[in-house]
Amino acid sequence: MKKYISSFVSGFGAGVLHVVPVAKSISCCLIVPLASFIALVLDKKANPTADKITMKKGALIGLFTGLYAALFGTLFDLFITLVTKNNDIVSMMPELQKMISTLPISETLRTEVINLYENVRNDIMQYGFSLLYALSIIINNTVVNSVVGIIGGLVGAQVINQRLNNRNGYQ
Amino acid sequence: MIIQFRIILFVLLLLWTSGIFYQCLLEKFSFLLYGYPFAYNAYSLVCHQDPAKVINLSCGNSLVCSRCLGIYFGLLSNSIVHFFYEIRTNKNFTLVLIAIIPMIIDVILTTASIYNYSKAVAITTGFLFGSILFLYLYNGLQNLIIETAKR
Repeated sequence: MKKYISSFVSGFGAGVLHVVPVAKSISCCLIVPLASFIALVLDKKANPTADKITMKKGALIGLFTGLYAALFGTLFDLFITLVTKNNDIVSMMPELQKMISTLPISETLRTEVINLYENVRNDIMQYGFSLLYALSIIINNTVVNSVVGIIGGLVGAQVINQRLNNRNGYQ
Repeated sequence: MIIQFRIILFVLLLLWTSGIFYQCLLEKFSFLLYGYPFAYNAYSLVCHQDPAKVINLSCGNSLVCSRCLGIYFGLLSNSIVHFFYEIRTNKNFTLVLIAIIPMIIDVILTTASIYNYSKAVAITTGFLFGSILFLYLYNGLQNLIIETAKR
């Protein structure tokens, strides 16, 4: 745990930013990669050595940052859904129904899919919780944030190593 | 990097980029309809999905904005190039800065309403950034494989 405290800190920050709409619209896809980079910088400050960051370490810190971001992002998302009884799925339902009605699919499939979505929406509007929705965001957040975190860690480690190279070159 | 890893990287990027056009895939594979909100949610983690900025096709809308689409196309196209020719980076980050500056300038100028948002400009600047980013991602993965193989 102590080894990945920098991942915990920046992962928490990324998790918070995931549920802030304005921050999300500005930073777009860069939240978790930037969090990974910040985690590497924090780790380097906490353990100041002249050694370069290995790619394995970069990837691991990125992975843990992504996992923490997923954990906190999911918790905040579920909590906000529970309190407000509203989320993206509920607000996209009319558009979704319109889209489904235009697709060239069988009537049975159409009804089945609409019923499935309506059950999720009703659960959220009534109880503020839907098991299917919770499972889907847990899986999505974990997989997507981990991969994006690793990418941020790999690229971030190269940026920090390059800066170390430059500094050592001048000394 | 050995060809197998390059193929895996390409396939992963191809799957991710194809998923952006999920609405278009629904016409051919109607069973995918069950997973639509799931896919929409997955891409919402990496893009704001502003309806005014997504790509509108006759078969549906893309699940990410034009700039993100450009970035993923950049990554994918460079992964194709790497099948035939491995581009070596000099590990200097000037190239990344050169690639990211047009994107940042475009974001600032459109946000400040100095000129209107253009999907073509967003895709182009995103593509430039994505294709350069791939070089560093590739380099990082290559070093990771070497480090892992050494142990």
